[in-house]
Amino acid sequence: MSSDAKAAAPPAEVPNAGQVAAAVRGFIADIGPTVALALSSCVHCGRCAEACQFYVQTGDPRYTPIHKVEPFRRAYEREVGPFAFAYRLLGLAPKITPDELARWQELIYDSCNMCGRCSLICPMGIDIAELVERARHGMFAAGLAAADFLGVLAEKEHATGSPFGLVRSQFEDMLHAIGRDHGVVMNVDKGTADIVPTVSSIDVKMYPASMAAIAKVLNHMGASWTFRTDGFDADNVSLTAGDRAGQRKITLGIVKAALACDANTVVMPECGHSFTEMRWEAANAFGEALPFRVLQITELIAEGLSVGRIRVNKVPHSATYHDACQLSRRGGATAAPRVILEALGVELHEMEDAGATNWCCGGGGGVALIKRAQPLMDKAFEIKQRQIEVTGVATIYTSCSGCRQTLEHGGKARNWNKTVASLLELVADNLKD
Amino acid sequence: MDDRETMTETLCAMLARRGFGRRSLLQFAIAMTSSLALPPSVAPVMAANLAKAKRRSVIWLSFQECTGCLETLLRSSSPTIDSLIFDFISLDYQEALMAAAGDAAERTLREAVAANKGQYLLAIDGSIPIKDGGVYSLTGGRSNVEMLAEIATNARAVLAIGTCAAYGGIPKAYPNPTGAVGVDDLVSGKPIVNIPGCPPVPEVLSGVLVHFISFGRLPDLDDRKRPLAYFGTTIHDQCYRRPFYDQGKFAKSFDDAGARQGWCLFELGCKGPTTHNACASLKWNGGASFPIESGHGCLGCSEPDFWDAGGFYTPLAGGSPPGWRNAGIAAAVGVAAGAAAALAARGRAASARHKAGPSPEETP
Amino acid sequence: MTLLAFARGPALQAALLIMIAGIFWRLAGIFLLPPRAQHAAPRHSLAGRIGGGALMIVSRFIPHHTFWPRVAMSVVLSTTFHLGLAIILLGGAPHILLIHQVTGLTWPGLPKGLIVISSGLTLASMIVLLIRRITHPVLRMLSTVDDYLSWLLVFLPVLTGILLAGETIGGYGTLLALHILSVELMMVWLPFGKLMHGALVFAGRWGMGMNFARKGAAT
Repeated sequence: MSSDAKAAAPPAEVPNAGQVAAAVRGFIADIGPTVALALSSCVHCGRCAEACQFYVQTGDPRYTPIHKVEPFRRAYEREVGPFAFAYRLLGLAPKITPDELARWQELIYDSCNMCGRCSLICPMGIDIAELVERARHGMFAAGLAAADFLGVLAEKEHATGSPFGLVRSQFEDMLHAIGRDHGVVMNVDKGTADIVPTVSSIDVKMYPASMAAIAKVLNHMGASWTFRTDGFDADNVSLTAGDRAGQRKITLGIVKAALACDANTVVMPECGHSFTEMRWEAANAFGEALPFRVLQITELIAEGLSVGRIRVNKVPHSATYHDACQLSRRGGATAAPRVILEALGVELHEMEDAGATNWCCGGGGGVALIKRAQPLMDKAFEIKQRQIEVTGVATIYTSCSGCRQTLEHGGKARNWNKTVASLLELVADNLKD
Repeated sequence: MDDRETMTETLCAMLARRGFGRRSLLQFAIAMTSSLALPPSVAPVMAANLAKAKRRSVIWLSFQECTGCLETLLRSSSPTIDSLIFDFISLDYQEALMAAAGDAAERTLREAVAANKGQYLLAIDGSIPIKDGGVYSLTGGRSNVEMLAEIATNARAVLAIGTCAAYGGIPKAYPNPTGAVGVDDLVSGKPIVNIPGCPPVPEVLSGVLVHFISFGRLPDLDDRKRPLAYFGTTIHDQCYRRPFYDQGKFAKSFDDAGARQGWCLFELGCKGPTTHNACASLKWNGGASFPIESGHGCLGCSEPDFWDAGGFYTPLAGGSPPGWRNAGIAAAVGVAAGAAAALAARGRAASARHKAGPSPEETP
Repeated sequence: MTLLAFARGPALQAALLIMIAGIFWRLAGIFLLPPRAQHAAPRHSLAGRIGGGALMIVSRFIPHHTFWPRVAMSVVLSTTFHLGLAIILLGGAPHILLIHQVTGLTWPGLPKGLIVISSGLTLASMIVLLIRRITHPVLRMLSTVDDYLSWLLVFLPVLTGILLAGETIGGYGTLLALHILSVELMMVWLPFGKLMHGALVFAGRWGMGMNFARKGAAT
């Protein structure tokens, strides 16, 4: 497994045997036919490496996407594969060693955004991004979720429902304060409402205006809506950390809150993973089809625009749009932002490879929350920088606060004179009364 | 002429008696030299040697055979020097042909062996059954195995004539109830020449004999002890239908349009590509035709185990795959094994989950 | 028993039975694991999802624009190899004959010259692929014994096949026996290594196609 790659980030503390056993249990706990097929299918063609921003930018073969889940694959073949007994008997899949697991922490966390470009290229149809997400379950169970921000935030989120440990009353106060500051009517914890919007913890921390923006849009629509402090922060850091129980807790909290007020729509914020989690996995945690729709905020706005429920002023200017991986490539919400931009009269200069095949900003999947991954993330960001520079525009819109934060961070490091802005806020600022 | 005179006269004298002069002998030698794939300069040497040649003793033992090999060698459409060669060898013992029988035959055999010790050629046709003490083929109460062992001891060389003698032939075909084997499986320490074919091409035997008579030694053999001159190429290499093979023109069924145009019979099971023999060049019945020319694929009868090679009408590109029933059983076994593995996997996963805690998929 | 008779008889039976049993074993071991129910409201109907599954089987042959030119070499080499092999297997008269014997199906074959050219291209692409696998840092890191063994077990049949078709080197009977035996070796290994991708690729692309169509995700 060793390679002659450049110096890697310092490895995690080496786990003990019990932790390794816990990792293996976490790896094999919920393997169904899809994951089994995926783990069996790799033909070592190497194309996934060419799709991955981390390999492309560093040339380090260890960042080959399918290689990132090698311990996961070995556990599968050894414990629950079709020839498991032969693998064990003949030593074909050696037991994972503590040292290997420690070395793989960087590969599974620091160098993967779960952006899905690898899944898009794989000729065998292996959803490698999903395999990384699953592999994180085992790593978390071993106590090897990347320790700094990500691990700490996940722990807090599991305990309190918020990565920053905020409680319901704090959310309530915050929302009312935002309402006052922005002159917006805020609905909080109403007993009945059609629409329940959610926010991401990044918005809470960094972009409070986006919460005002959601309220503005919903008020403009004349919708019956409410924030629910019992199902508020959709960020789900637990997901990116690999904490299955925490992930479930956050998701079901939102579901329950929506049920409690008989909502027919839950709106996901400008955030990537929260959307894919709620839209595509929440029903599975719930055990049956959700009795409400799940829309990302751009989908809600695009829908509203198309039926005339939302009206906007034209604000002609040049800009480009960065597609959040989870929203477009993984989530299927690629068209909505462009409907919105067109309605706003924005002169859209698309990046090369724009849309569902776009490059990841490099910050997703929790990577932005891992301090030691900063250099790697910055290296990956160079691709995004080049893409943007080629368009020649000064404004980049995006509909994911994680991307927004990463783009701003990357831009600051390069002293560029470009503006990164939220598409939601652009809409909210230009609603036609 | 009395017997003693015929025993000592030279071939030249014998031919002269029959009306064949030296020129005929030289022409014969030229033809034979070519047939044996020897250089043309050898022809006059062969003619001179043949002229001086004295009779050679040949003892012919017929074992577990159908007599087809002997019959084919005796058939000749017109008297040729080939057949005269057979006259020239002193066929001192051959049960089907000789006048004597019973005890007289036994005595003849013993006398011939004694008189020509170390010099006679031993010709065998038919396979030798070895199972159950060789009881399945006896002559005068003695098994073929025993006879072969005794008579081969003092022979100059052994000629295994026909596929049965060479490789076991038809009796050896599955399930080989008599334990039939070829000469080569039983005789060691003696030069053996295999002249396979079911039956062999008659001219091949005469060619071997002529070579032996002329030069006092056996012709060059291939790795299956067959004369290279006749068995060095395959039917495929000499077949007049080869251009059709190369062009991909194959008869799909007997007497279809392609067959009637003389197209290649590969798809009808022809074993020409893997069969070494001279049929495609020397042909049969004095060069009249050979199986492929008559529209039937080569059976591969000069190769070992041609009866068990998967079927005369199964092309070389095919084989004997397992039937659908056995394939189905294999699939079922596979599914059962896989199901067992999946069951074990489910158990291990459940045990892992039990230790790990509730999953996101569990209902609230 | 001659080598050829062995190859066409008992060896063929054993190899096919092992391959069949192995394939079903591996597939059953994968697909009999507990499936994960999907309760989220799909973006497309069942017909649309089935269409998505079918479409991805074909669309994955050509990567998206964003991945070129980085994967161009891999795609060109792999396509040449697979197409070459397909032409040999499905267009070569002896192979069609074998398929006819087993299934009763038949179709016209391609001229032998084309098959020989195709074989040459296949062999050449395989050699380049091997060199690439040994020299490219990603491939060298990923590769296991299985990768090299599988390469050899496919290379030998193609090599012996082209020698057989050329009919210039070696005895026909011996080459045919070696050709058939080399195929049988490949068959025996197939279910247990990466050659199984011949079956898995359809299931994988189909599953991903259906899943991604369900989500409206990029395919």
